[in-house]
Amino acid sequence: MKAINEIIGAVVKNNISVEAQKWLDDFIQTTDQSALLARVFVMLPRKTGKLPVAISDDQQEVLDTAGFGYIRSWTVDRLSRVWLLAGLKMNDKELLSAAINRLFLSAEVNEAVALYSALPFLPYPEIWIKRCAEGIRSNIGSVLEAIMENNPYAAANLDEAAWNQLVLKAFFTDKDINLIVGLDHRANLKLALTLVDYAHERWAAGREVHPQLWRLVGKFINAEIFETLKTGLQHYNQVEQRAIALAISQSDYQPAKDYINTFPELKLALADGSLNWNSF
Amino acid sequence: MCCSSSIARDKALMGAPEAFDISAVKGMKFFDPHVHMTSRTTDDYQAMADAGVVALIEPAFWLGQPRTGLDSFRDYYSSLIGWERFRSSQFGIKHYCTIGLNSREANNESLAEQVMEILPLFVYKEGVVGVGEIGFDDQTAAEEKYYRLQLELAKEAGLPVQVHTPHRDKKKGTQRSMDIALEHGLDPYSVIIDHNNEETVKEVLDRGFWAAFTIYPFTKMGNERMVEIVKQYGSERIMVNSAADWGISDPLAVPKTAALMKMHGLSNQDIELVTYGNAIKAFAQSGQLDEADFNATIDLTEKFEGNTILRGGQQPRTDKSSIIIS
Repeated sequence: MKAINEIIGAVVKNNISVEAQKWLDDFIQTTDQSALLARVFVMLPRKTGKLPVAISDDQQEVLDTAGFGYIRSWTVDRLSRVWLLAGLKMNDKELLSAAINRLFLSAEVNEAVALYSALPFLPYPEIWIKRCAEGIRSNIGSVLEAIMENNPYAAANLDEAAWNQLVLKAFFTDKDINLIVGLDHRANLKLALTLVDYAHERWAAGREVHPQLWRLVGKFINAEIFETLKTGLQHYNQVEQRAIALAISQSDYQPAKDYINTFPELKLALADGSLNWNSF
Repeated sequence: MCCSSSIARDKALMGAPEAFDISAVKGMKFFDPHVHMTSRTTDDYQAMADAGVVALIEPAFWLGQPRTGLDSFRDYYSSLIGWERFRSSQFGIKHYCTIGLNSREANNESLAEQVMEILPLFVYKEGVVGVGEIGFDDQTAAEEKYYRLQLELAKEAGLPVQVHTPHRDKKKGTQRSMDIALEHGLDPYSVIIDHNNEETVKEVLDRGFWAAFTIYPFTKMGNERMVEIVKQYGSERIMVNSAADWGISDPLAVPKTAALMKMHGLSNQDIELVTYGNAIKAFAQSGQLDEADFNATIDLTEKFEGNTILRGGQQPRTDKSSIIIS
């Protein structure tokens, strides 16, 4: 993580003025960061500006390898704030927790986005679990995106109940499901059953079902879930059909596999390997 | 990447818009038993009054921005029984409320503990017709704890309970809410299960609870679906509300749904029950709601703690079509 912080630091410095660099350096050198943190954190965009960051190819390569390539889509204030928090010289757990929680309590939207974006870079990952679960309760789109999309913290730290809420809420709020880190790895039976109920609810309301939903159901197909899949295959649209077929192809439930083979089109699509979750 | 957002897809499924013809329900009275007026404007109050809404219930809820201290809760509860009630009265709409700790903020346990201590100061106030809206959001242990504690409070105070059912994992969340209410010895006839849909309604009615439906664009029920529900299940123990709040919602959802029911041939009696009578019957169990109070004459000169919403001699009704604002 230290190497990544150094690269992010270099990116930040490349993207801000000399004046802003000096201002940040002053904070980094100070002996009493906790007293100054709130003001510096809040004021930061005035110094750094808010333009999208530019990252060199070499830097991008290292970031990609480490799983942090996604910061390429951030603005410089967001990246600077995350870097600032990641490098805080507060080794005492209580002190750090109090200082950062204070920022959360009065955060405006961009600050909240930066704070949640910083979670994977902070020490003591266990102390931010409740805060992360709280963030998932937000109704503010960009805050939810900061937690759900391209953020490895949740998958690595949340318990099953909180993780399932994250995934459900991502479906409910139209987040980009493909960007949820750890999505397949953390699939579980309870989530699959809840998603099956959700599919029924959508159908009863005359609404479509998000095709990615079936991705999280595939591994857990049993007789009961199979009945739902049959309903989807028989009555609903082509996108949903193809998604269900793909989910079944990734399961070990033989009756469902046999059933799919009775749909020549789907059988063909599976056989030629053109279906994958990135296509939905 | 996935296809376009589901809201765009849902909109496409809605078909061509149809004008709301108020004349279909002219002269009818409506009761909206779930609407968050603190988030709405005076224009909304005026439109509701014009469409025949004579009374409403404002449940205590989450303000979108999580509260960080007890005083924010206290002031919010006070505003429901004070300033908002007054604002409503200026439009001839009788304002009631339910008081409770909402499920989302129940997850902030240290604050929730303090809120529980002040709730008894508010639930016995005049015009508080229930404990609500309480229940599950994420279905966490903390949510369950404060749901149970508030069911006990409702029992002790002899008040109906207005139960919010979760958006996510709704079916199981609704079942669990009912199981717990029964476990605490509440009479299902004193519990209003809110935000039902096609998947939950049958069990709620079969178990003897009231089934409320929220007509709210995109995320909850549409009113065409509501018409079908009443056709299928009848009008007993069913009620309709708008749950209009700070989101894209419609404070006229109740009269609009009544008009649509009329157009689809539902009987006047059924319409009257689901958009007026049933909610009154359910919440009148509090002893704090009397239909006779609805038609109080509007006193536009009345003041609330020295304040009025009519500023500087302003006329009570403005002409919205005029470019001049005087």
